Amino acid sequence: MLSNLISIPVMLVLSVLQMTAISRINLLNGSADLILLTIAAWGVREKNSNVFIWALVGGLIISIATAMPSFSPLAPYLFTSIIARLLSKRLWQAPILALIITAFSGTIFQHFFYIILLQISGIPLDFPESVGNVTIPSLLLNFFFLFPIYVIMGDISKWVTPEELYA
Amino acid sequence: MKSVSPRNLRNAVVVFLVTGILLLAISGFLRPVLGVVMDPFISTQRWLSDRFMAVYDYFTLPRDVTDLLVRNAQLEAEVSSLQTQVIQLQEQLQEADVLYSLLDFARARPQDNYVAAAVIGRDPIPFLHYLIIDHGTDDGIQHGMPVVTEQGLVGRIDAVTAGAARVQLITDPGSVVNVRLQNQNSEGQIYGSVTGEVTLGMVAQNVNLSAGEILLTSGLGGNFPTDVFVGQVLEITRSDNQLFQSASVQPVVDFDTIRAVLVITSFRSVNITPLIPALGP
Repeated sequence: MLSNLISIPVMLVLSVLQMTAISRINLLNGSADLILLTIAAWGVREKNSNVFIWALVGGLIISIATAMPSFSPLAPYLFTSIIARLLSKRLWQAPILALIITAFSGTIFQHFFYIILLQISGIPLDFPESVGNVTIPSLLLNFFFLFPIYVIMGDISKWVTPEELYA
Repeated sequence: MKSVSPRNLRNAVVVFLVTGILLLAISGFLRPVLGVVMDPFISTQRWLSDRFMAVYDYFTLPRDVTDLLVRNAQLEAEVSSLQTQVIQLQEQLQEADVLYSLLDFARARPQDNYVAAAVIGRDPIPFLHYLIIDHGTDDGIQHGMPVVTEQGLVGRIDAVTAGAARVQLITDPGSVVNVRLQNQNSEGQIYGSVTGEVTLGMVAQNVNLSAGEILLTSGLGGNFPTDVFVGQVLEITRSDNQLFQSASVQPVVDFDTIRAVLVITSFRSVNITPLIPALGP
């Protein structure tokens, strides 16, 4: 229960940080996505099966703030949480590898999803230009922020779901 | 004749002697004698003074060092506080400069009403170019209102809540602004892009477009007021097999460092969608 509730303040703080600071740290036109990285870092831990709640909360908060079509940010975050859960079960001995694969696939899915969605909405986006100037730089920035977030989320995870002690 | 008394004579002799000794001492003739007499006293006094100061320092110096350390810490804290104040004041000064510039712009166009707002965020999706400002419907801001700085056009209000609003920049890939060329009797449109570059299009082939041409809003479409500075033409792309010329545009506003904007609240955008004839059978 606590691990579900804690997602609300964490995602609120992260979304504010994302809009005020992280969105201004650009590499070409790309920027990191703290919400996606947090979902990945939370979901790859085997005991955090509630990552879908985190994805839902993060997606709803970003949906309110962004100019993207309504609730569209939910899809990439839910996709990332699904990938994180699948990999946490299959790569439980290598959480870092699971984390990198989750962040990579989540970012790629998110950007391709947004490009297609914006094109459907009538906004003329050049696909190679979008990938070269936004997606690849965002990927690099996401890897830059990935491990600090993994460490922070590890501490939060230990705090909200302490491991059982066996006598 | 009155004889001099022995007492007065003795006093006079003493005065003469003392005066003489003083004059001799002042003129330096008594220095060797005084040195022989005084040196042992001076040496003794120096030795005693050194030992006394050593004992005095032994008892008082640790307390002074502690006091100095405390005082040093206080001063360092004070310096740190003052440095913070200096940074805050510099920030306020920059804000004041921006606000003065905005005020100058507002004074230059007294026919409009403005609301000044600070930029508090950006759209979290990197494909979009939107700003979030700290004023909303509570301050009279409505959807579609134009947003400017002292330099020129920024964009228009896309969404608004009670205390905040989202501004679509002219660099956004979904943005289209009707413009006119200041030195030509011609009009065109500028488009944003995902990279933030702005392109001028829809300029007829017979227009003598040149680099440095100034672009102003034309007011066509009813989304923006007329004659707001937008930018300058940089590089022209002209091809004989195309209907229109295009050019890259240098926007007059630096969107990366923008900190405060003015919303023109007296301007109401016109929705001309119902007037556009629908395509189809």
